[in-house]
Amino acid sequence: MDDTLQAILPDAVPLLVIAGLYALVSLALAVPLARERGSSWLGVGIWLLFTLVAALAAVLGVLRLEEKEVLGDVDSWIVFAVAAAAAVPALIVLARRRERGLLVTAGRRVLEAEELASERGREADAISRLSGALSHAVTGTEAAARLFDELESVLGVETFMLAVVDEEARTARGFAARGVDESWWEGVVLDLDDDIGAIVTVARERTPYAIYDVTTAPNVNRKLADTVGAKSAAFVPLVSEGRVVGVVVSVTRDDHRLFSASELELVQGLANEAALALGRTRSDEALRVALDRERLVAAIGRKVRSELDLDAVLTVAVEETAGAIGVSRCFIRLGEPGEPMPIRAEWDAPGIDPVGAAAERLPASNLAARRRVTVAVGDIEKAPELDDPTLGGLATLRELGTRAVLATPIVVFDRTIGVFGVHRSDATRWTAGEIALAEAVAREVGLAIHTARLLGENERRLRQQETLLNAAQVLTSDLRFESVIRRLVEEVVALTRADAVDCWIFEPDRKLLRCRAVYGLPEWNVGRQIPPEGTIGKAVATGRTVLTHEFAATEQPPPSPPYAVFNDVMSAPITWLGEARGVLGVCAREANRFDEADVEMLGAFARFASLALHNAESFEERERQAQVQRGFYRVAEVLGSPLSLAETFDALAQAACEALGGTSALVLEPRAGDELVLAGSFELPEPVRTRLADGLPESLCPFGTAGGSERIISSSSLADDDRFDESVRKLFGDSGYGSLLCAPVAGTRGQTNAVVVLFAGERTFTDDDLALTRHLSGAARGALERSELFEAERRARTFSQRLARVGALLATNLDPGVVLNEVAREAPALLDADAAAIRLLERDELVVRTADGPGTADLVGARSSSSAGISGVVAQSPSPLAVSDARDQPRLTRGDGLLEGGMAACVAVPMSAHGGGLYGVLAVYSREPRGWRDDEVQSLVALAGTASASVANAELYQRVAEEKERNEAILANIADGIVAVDRDDRIVLWNATAEQITGVPASEALGRRIAEVLQRELTRDPAQPPNEPVRMRRGNRDVWLSVTEAVMLDPARAVAGRIFAFRDVSSEHVVEQMKSDFVSTVSHELRTPLTSIYGFAGTLLRGDVEFSESERETFLGYIASESERLIRIVDDLLNIARIDAKKIEVTLERTDLGEVAHETVAQVADHVDGGHTFAVEVEPGSLWVRADREKLSRILHNLVDNAAKFSPAGSKITVSAQRRSDTAEVSVKDEGMGIPHSEWERIFAKFYRTEHVAQSGVEGTGLGLFLARGLLAAMGGRIWVDSREGHGANFTFELPLARADGADVPEMEAAGTP
Amino acid sequence: MTRVLVIDDEAPIRLLCRVNLEAEHMEVLEAPDGPSGLELARTASPDVVLLDVMMPGLDGWRVAEELLEDPDTAGIPVVFLTARADLRDRARGMDLGGLDYITKPFNPVELASLVRSVVDAVKRGERDQLRTEKIAQLRELFESA
Repeated sequence: MDDTLQAILPDAVPLLVIAGLYALVSLALAVPLARERGSSWLGVGIWLLFTLVAALAAVLGVLRLEEKEVLGDVDSWIVFAVAAAAAVPALIVLARRRERGLLVTAGRRVLEAEELASERGREADAISRLSGALSHAVTGTEAAARLFDELESVLGVETFMLAVVDEEARTARGFAARGVDESWWEGVVLDLDDDIGAIVTVARERTPYAIYDVTTAPNVNRKLADTVGAKSAAFVPLVSEGRVVGVVVSVTRDDHRLFSASELELVQGLANEAALALGRTRSDEALRVALDRERLVAAIGRKVRSELDLDAVLTVAVEETAGAIGVSRCFIRLGEPGEPMPIRAEWDAPGIDPVGAAAERLPASNLAARRRVTVAVGDIEKAPELDDPTLGGLATLRELGTRAVLATPIVVFDRTIGVFGVHRSDATRWTAGEIALAEAVAREVGLAIHTARLLGENERRLRQQETLLNAAQVLTSDLRFESVIRRLVEEVVALTRADAVDCWIFEPDRKLLRCRAVYGLPEWNVGRQIPPEGTIGKAVATGRTVLTHEFAATEQPPPSPPYAVFNDVMSAPITWLGEARGVLGVCAREANRFDEADVEMLGAFARFASLALHNAESFEERERQAQVQRGFYRVAEVLGSPLSLAETFDALAQAACEALGGTSALVLEPRAGDELVLAGSFELPEPVRTRLADGLPESLCPFGTAGGSERIISSSSLADDDRFDESVRKLFGDSGYGSLLCAPVAGTRGQTNAVVVLFAGERTFTDDDLALTRHLSGAARGALERSELFEAERRARTFSQRLARVGALLATNLDPGVVLNEVAREAPALLDADAAAIRLLERDELVVRTADGPGTADLVGARSSSSAGISGVVAQSPSPLAVSDARDQPRLTRGDGLLEGGMAACVAVPMSAHGGGLYGVLAVYSREPRGWRDDEVQSLVALAGTASASVANAELYQRVAEEKERNEAILANIADGIVAVDRDDRIVLWNATAEQITGVPASEALGRRIAEVLQRELTRDPAQPPNEPVRMRRGNRDVWLSVTEAVMLDPARAVAGRIFAFRDVSSEHVVEQMKSDFVSTVSHELRTPLTSIYGFAGTLLRGDVEFSESERETFLGYIASESERLIRIVDDLLNIARIDAKKIEVTLERTDLGEVAHETVAQVADHVDGGHTFAVEVEPGSLWVRADREKLSRILHNLVDNAAKFSPAGSKITVSAQRRSDTAEVSVKDEGMGIPHSEWERIFAKFYRTEHVAQSGVEGTGLGLFLARGLLAAMGGRIWVDSREGHGANFTFELPLARADGADVPEMEAAGTP
Repeated sequence: MTRVLVIDDEAPIRLLCRVNLEAEHMEVLEAPDGPSGLELARTASPDVVLLDVMMPGLDGWRVAEELLEDPDTAGIPVVFLTARADLRDRARGMDLGGLDYITKPFNPVELASLVRSVVDAVKRGERDQLRTEKIAQLRELFESA
């Protein structure tokens, strides 16, 4: 390159750069301008400006390069600066409009990618918006509106249409639109199979489709396009789950518009969103529609079911269905396949002709019935299958103006019973819902029809059964054959509404039928006999009900005239156990009056009838038998019960009447004079009774003959029976009797009675009646005999009852006088007599002891010879005597006050005394002469026997009672306690002494056992000695009893009781005890000193022991003192013996009381070691008494020793003396236990020791005080005690004072002498 | 040394026993009545008790009962020494639990040997045997009576 070039380059390059930039901008702007047809002028202007600038800069730049001085000498830097400034607008444009920039070669791809991304974003936004909007859409219309909104926004067009495709993808139907007439669009239906056009194509091919110029495009539904006025259009399918559910069409109507691929893609996205929503809303709608349909079906079903009448059911069904699915005709045909199926219900839209009789030529319903499937034809012209002559062809449908037909069979339990059909005048496509509805209605109708039929059938059967039952009830309510037959025909008439009915029963030989009852036919037919022929014969032969139509014309042999008027005749055999007994005939004048139902019913009724007739026959047979049986029973029953003779006759009449079923009955008894007298009757009217009671001459009636010949007389018609006298006939006739039966009955007295049974009206008597009558005759004879026996037995029973009663009365009476009075009172009643008297034998006289009855007032006490009068005769024999009439027998009346007083008849019996002799005579009297039956005499003998025994008993009782009283008196006063117990050991006797001894009153003891009363038995313990006293407690002390026991034996030698006699030996026992104690005490008293004496002596004699002197003295001292003690005891014992023998000797002398007292007290004090204080308050020489000194000392010793023994250690014992006028009183006082007042006297008894003393363990013989008293008594003194229990005792004795003159001559005196 | 308790209200009898038993080298304790006898029996643990029956206050029967009831004294053999010579009394004494029964009057010289034989038998553990023997003798007496 040269320098010039280098010089100009800086100018040329910027210009060229500018040119390039502007060219780039121009190019960038050109692309959109070219793509967007109809761009604004501004855009074109800008493009031109940039293009010019580019061209200018390019020219300038090239020129510069060619050295053409276009710029002169303009500085290159300026050029550069201008160029740079000029670049700015281009750069700005490029920057803003990338698409318009073509700065670099790679930039375009980048831009395209960005553009694409931007479109996807918008698309996504749009879809998202639509999705959001659709989610709120509830209905398909709403969803369509949201889709249209979105399309409008993204495409900028304003007209849209949405067609929906049905489930089968058969049709597309206008659904929603914007910018066009919606109602028009919604009526648009496109057949996807047949129609052409973009919608159809898109729906089938599922791809969007855009047409730039609709007016010229071939694949366009011209009609739709013209209607809409479309210029360009985009068709996009709405695809959901792989299925096209609709097609949305976007239309421009003003200009043509090119829908780019991307737009179609976007719209497809939106359409798919809408498809989902539409699918959803359509599902909802489908559900709603289905529900609506179900509701409709349910509503129709409800209405259908609520109707019981079949016609009403069908009418409801067609009307409701027609209204629900909008058709021109709706109908129901009923009938079995292969049989006529007429229209039973039809609904026609206004202006539509009814099908009427053309029903059989309706091909669709015929086809539906034949194939048993639903036939839905939208257009009959396109349904060659209907154009079948066997189905009726299409002509009828065409005539009816029908284009669309829907027919569904009505099937019940797998049986087609009809067809449900609907018609439309226009060709249409039957929707699934409509078909479903029709089928549902058909089902409902089928069920309803079935139900209605069942109900109808049921009702019919019920009616029939009710009728039959009523008829049967009527039939069986009567048990008499004739009545039953009569009722039978009446019921059949009522049952079948027949004109005439007859009933035929086989004669016994079964060859002929006899008419027994008719209805609607002349009565003379009854009794007619015919052989079983023709209809009747057929019924008999087959055993089934036979129905003959056209009877009058066809019956062979020809019917008798009365039957020749009937067209329909039914004959039902009356069978029993498989054998025809008769026939029931039913006739109707009207032809075809009867059908199978009537045959069936008549058959059923005939079965009832046969049962009823059989029952009636059985009943009558049984009734007849029962009557005979009842008759027998009645006779047996009435005559079997024992009755008196009069009652038996009445019963006989009753039995005869009831047995034979008569009206009245009577029994006639022959009486002297050839008369029959009424002996008994039953239900006999008073006039007849009165008349017969007077007697009926035998000559007037054959009853006597009946009796005589023992034959039964029967008169079926009394009025015409000349065996009876006119008067007799009239007598019975006037009372309404027309016939009679008479049977002989043998009486008990040899006569023959007649039983006559009278019947109201005339009557034919059967063999049964006669047999029954004969039976009656025999039974009555037995009854009369029984009656006799009964009478006798009754009398005997009466006697025995009375006797028993009297016996019981007498047995309980223990007063002989009362017994006799009672017997006298009872005897006349017993014999049905008037009076009675009892005479007792007293020496050789009979004395009236008691009498009863009239005229006996003054009889008691009357005496007569023991051989006078009837009583005398009886007393002499002695045996009973009965006199029927004593009035002319003075031998018997003599001395008998009652016979003399007017009594005529008498029976007298002896009364025996206890030993067998005569006690008296019991006589019974009757005012009137009368016979005395043997049983009467015997009963009087029995009464007399009872009376004798009772009197004897009463007397015996009296004696026993007296004896008892005497014994009781003895026992009460006996000194021993007497107690008797019975065999059960119960006390029956407890006498006063026993009460005293035991302290138990008799009232407490009687009836109890001894052990309960005395807490011990009295029976002797075998281990005890025989005379050992028995101890028992009385209160709180022991009582000793001496008991003897006697056993009472009854006649059988068994123990019947025991008697205990006892006496209180307590005192003796005490003495015995004292003696025993005394012996042991004395033994002790003697042995004790003896022990010392013997012991010390023995000790002293021991050679092996050396005793000291003092010891030896002690031993010897003991020997001495104990020897004295021994002597004293022996003395006491001797003195006691003397006192007892009253041989005590005292030597009375003048004795110094003080001296003796001092000496004695000192002695006692010596050997008593209780530490007592002894005080002697009498000085020696101060008081002289006349006494035996030694005995006085003994007495004092005893008293002081006792005082020491019975008073506590250390207490004081005082001996004092007082001078009285001629005696001296000496007291020994202690401070001991004292003596109870009750013991004051007893302590002086021999051996007696108080209980207290005995228990104290203090030794003693119980003799000291006895001895003291005995000695004092011997010395002319006495001793007593004064004491308070617990406060010591004070023993005092007195002795005569010694004479002061000192003449103390000892004198010997015997004890007991004063 | 054998210790003998004599319970008797009679002083001479007590002395008699003492003299004769001491002569045989026995120790003798005396009680004049039942209560003091019981007291001594409990406190002095005698080897044997010679017991009178007829005593004022508590008699010998009761004393024997109480001795035998008291576990402290039940082991002491009791020999009745009494004037009650009746067989029934002897039987009663044996029944009460006595080991022997000496009736007054008795030979004082033999008393010690009798006491010794009782004490020895008890010591040998033949108390029951001894009693059975005595009761058998008593029964013989009864039967011969």
